[in-house]
Amino acid sequence: MARIKVHELRGKTKAELQNQLKDLKNELSLLRVAKVTGGAPNKLSKIKVVRLSIARVLTVISQKQKAALREVYKKKKHIPLDLRPKKTRAIRRRLTKHQESQKTEREKKKEMYFPTRKYAIKA
Amino acid sequence: MLYELLAATSKKADDKTQALKVAKAVKSGSTLKKKAKKIRTSVTFHRPRTLKKERNPKYPRISAPPRNKLDQYQILKYPLTTESAMKKIEDNNTLVFIVDIRADKKKIKAAVKKMYDIQSKKVNTLIRSVDGFSSPCFACYSHLASHSTVNDMGGISEQA
Repeated sequence: MARIKVHELRGKTKAELQNQLKDLKNELSLLRVAKVTGGAPNKLSKIKVVRLSIARVLTVISQKQKAALREVYKKKKHIPLDLRPKKTRAIRRRLTKHQESQKTEREKKKEMYFPTRKYAIKA
Repeated sequence: MLYELLAATSKKADDKTQALKVAKAVKSGSTLKKKAKKIRTSVTFHRPRTLKKERNPKYPRISAPPRNKLDQYQILKYPLTTESAMKKIEDNNTLVFIVDIRADKKKIKAAVKKMYDIQSKKVNTLIRSVDGFSSPCFACYSHLASHSTVNDMGGISEQA
C-alpha cells in the first residue's frame, strides 16, 4: 500500500475518511492476528505503518471537525470552552485590553485640561 | 395654572382616600391576616418543593461529543493461539480472544458480531495477570463459531 499522504487526506470528505479509517483498522486487526500466529516479517513491519496512518487519518478528521465547528460559532456570542483561546489560566483571568483602558470621567477631564507639558530649555 | 392646581388637588384627594382605605383595611385586620396559620404536624422543617428547571444551555461546553474510543477494533485485540486455545476451537466450538480490559461481556458479544459476523451463544471472561504485555487484557471465550470463520481470521487452524 502506498504511503498515506496527509495533503491527500485533507482533500477527502468526512465519509471517505471514515471509510479509510475502517479499512485501516481492519488491516491492523489482521496484522495483529498474523503477529500472534507467527506471520511473515513483511507483515509484521507493516503494523507500524498502519498504526501511524490511522493516527494521521484521525488527526485530519478531528482537525476538519474543529475547523467546521469554529465556522459555525464564528458569529455567535457564546462559544464552547474548547474553542476559546487557551493561553494560560492566569492570562484568561486578566483584565481585557478594553477593560484596562477604561478611565473615569474625572480622569478623562483631568487629562484633557491638564496634560503633561513638555518643556525644552533654550540653549 | 388653574388646571394644574385642580389636577394636583384631585391627585392629592385620590391619594388621601386610598391611604384612608388601606388604613381601614389594616385596622380591621381582615385583608392581610386572613391567610390561615399553617398547621404544622411535624417537628422538622422540610424544604418545600420548588421549581426545578431543565438544563437549557446557551452553548455546549464541549463543542463536539468525543468519539467512541472503545469500538470493536479496540475491544477485540487478537485471538489467542496457544495449544489449549486451539483445543477449545476444535472441541468446544469456541474462540479465545484477548480483549480490552474495559470491555464487558455485552460489548464483546457485539464486537464479535460486528467483526466476524458470529453469533456468540455465551461469553466467559477472565482477567489475566499481565505477563510481558503493556496493556491489560481479558481473555474471553465465545461459543458457536464455525470453522470457516476461524480460517477467515487469518488461518489460525493452519497452525494446528
